[in-house]
Amino acid sequence: MLKIHNLHASVANRPILKGVDLEVRGGEVHAIMGPNGSGKSTLASVLAGREGYVVTDGTVEYLGQDLLAMAPEDRARAGVFLAFQYPVEIPGVNNAYLLKAALNAIRKQRGEPELDAFEFLAMVRERMKLMQMDESFLNRGVNEGFSGGEKKRNEILQMAMLEPRLALLDETDSGLDIDALRVVANGVNSLRDPARSIVMVTHYQRLLDYVEPDVVHVLSDGRILLSGGKGLALELEKRGYDWVRHEARVA
Amino acid sequence: MNATVRSDALEPYVAAFDAARPFAGETEAARTLAFERFAELGFPSPRDESWKYTNLRRLESRRFSSTAPDTGAMLRAATVPELAPHRVVLLDGRCVASRGPGMPPLSGVRIRTLAEAIADGEPQSALFRVPSGGGTERFAALNVALCPDVLVVDIDEGARLAEALQIDLASSGTERGMSHPRLLIRAAAGSSARIVLRHAGGEDAEHFVNAFVEVEAGPDAELRLYRLQAQGGRGFLVERLEATLGQRALLEIHDAQLGASLTRLDLNARLAAPGSTARLTGLFLADGSRHMDTHVHVDHLAPHTTSLVDYRGIAAGRGRGVFNGKAIVHAGAQKSQARQVSRNLLLTAGAEIDSKPELEIYADDVQCSHGSTTGQLDPAALFYLRSRGLGQHEARGALTRAFAGAVLSRMDHGPFAAAVHATLDDRLVRLLETTE
Repeated sequence: MLKIHNLHASVANRPILKGVDLEVRGGEVHAIMGPNGSGKSTLASVLAGREGYVVTDGTVEYLGQDLLAMAPEDRARAGVFLAFQYPVEIPGVNNAYLLKAALNAIRKQRGEPELDAFEFLAMVRERMKLMQMDESFLNRGVNEGFSGGEKKRNEILQMAMLEPRLALLDETDSGLDIDALRVVANGVNSLRDPARSIVMVTHYQRLLDYVEPDVVHVLSDGRILLSGGKGLALELEKRGYDWVRHEARVA
Repeated sequence: MNATVRSDALEPYVAAFDAARPFAGETEAARTLAFERFAELGFPSPRDESWKYTNLRRLESRRFSSTAPDTGAMLRAATVPELAPHRVVLLDGRCVASRGPGMPPLSGVRIRTLAEAIADGEPQSALFRVPSGGGTERFAALNVALCPDVLVVDIDEGARLAEALQIDLASSGTERGMSHPRLLIRAAAGSSARIVLRHAGGEDAEHFVNAFVEVEAGPDAELRLYRLQAQGGRGFLVERLEATLGQRALLEIHDAQLGASLTRLDLNARLAAPGSTARLTGLFLADGSRHMDTHVHVDHLAPHTTSLVDYRGIAAGRGRGVFNGKAIVHAGAQKSQARQVSRNLLLTAGAEIDSKPELEIYADDVQCSHGSTTGQLDPAALFYLRSRGLGQHEARGALTRAFAGAVLSRMDHGPFAAAVHATLDDRLVRLLETTE
């Protein structure tokens, strides 16, 4: 699904990623953990194609294609989805319009017909129920005046609508209370599928109690220092990140 | 030397004035006075503060002549789609269809031509008044001197019009033709009306429209004007809109400026009596090489008066926008509120918008604010939309429409709003494709 090899990236000429290697196979759920400033969010942004992130070396292969050569919209249409750490408020652009335009752009890419208004509404209603969102959200501006939790739920709603092959969740758990975390985790879990891979970037182990990862990676100073099973997350929670860095230095 | 240049520029207008003589109904004296005022003021010099960003050299260098009546064009003008069930067409300033066949009578409104108004004994001081001051005084004077007709629209006292009235200021499209449409709209006490003012026509011709619209809203009158400026792309348009409001009167203007090549609109509102309110909202789209200059001037002359000015400008290509908003709260206009907002969006690097909100306050118990911003589409929002699969064009279009939508959503006359949206959409699609 996703093969990252020796990825180097800079922001404003400052190297952030310094040789990331990562392979995610179909159906796997990976967690990328690490201290603040380790490059977790940069990795997610580079994969989604955000401007201002310059790849200086390395390759990213997604379903056999050169992901880095693709425009952000082409990545989305090919099935890559980024749930933003800070979803953008866009007053005046209707939530329903965005969902429908995005869905139809992706369906067109897949060679599927556009959904008519009735089919769209049926689909979005079902997904909104899952995310415990009121239908009134549809007619509001994208994320406009949403609380932190509502924004994160809206991200997962979009993901549930767009049914990506590769979902990147950037700190989706941050700023959520325990009830909202359950709803969001429930949404993510409902999307677990042998044909879909999920990469969760998170600072805390909390989300991983609800969405169990197959693999946990520790990213520190722009490199993956350690990878392991879900037990690694628990160990990090107990011991912090310093011992990983220390062991890496010793090794 | 300079004087020679000036008189050269005025020469076509002198010729037009001479050709228009003799004037009907003993109006010669008033017309001559107005023309002398125009000749005295002449074209603005580049040093004129109110023309700082708008150079009229191109207009001055053309030799325009008054457009002759044209039957074919009249028929075409009468067939353009309607935005309201009742319509009056001024073609090149001449009333051609005030009560044409198929036009149902609109009760509560009296619509007269200049000849009819004079026959009724309407005083010339009302029909040929030249407003004073502002950068467009000269053009209003020229309009008064040369207007072939005056459309006088009177809304009866207490009349509440259920349906909107549309007034088309149409151009026939005569190359190098000029016209001087003149409107006088009076809403009597307690009346309520919606009027659509549409500038259209003149598609392929270089032409000059110099309009002068006077509005009077009596006590407790409510008047809503929907101005759609969709003039042909090679047109010059200068317009002076002068409004005076009585006690507790409400004037709303919804302005959509989408056409012509070079435009200057002066919108002056006098809040002359206590409790009067003016809400002036608008949008201009200066794409291609269009130049659009809007000056909004509000005078608070009485206590408890309210003004809200909210204009949004979009510029693209080599387009240029100018917005100058000025509110003056005069001494004694206590408990007044004046609010001005000017927001501007530049879609391409070559585009420019100069915005200048001004406030002058001579009363001490007032609430005033003004704000002005000029920027580009938010890159974070753009990336967000693209990351969901929307293409560059669609994402930029959605954000641009959202920007315009903040004022368009208040344009509450359905057919007008639909016409504005359709034109805007069409133009955005084209300009976004060419400004990638």
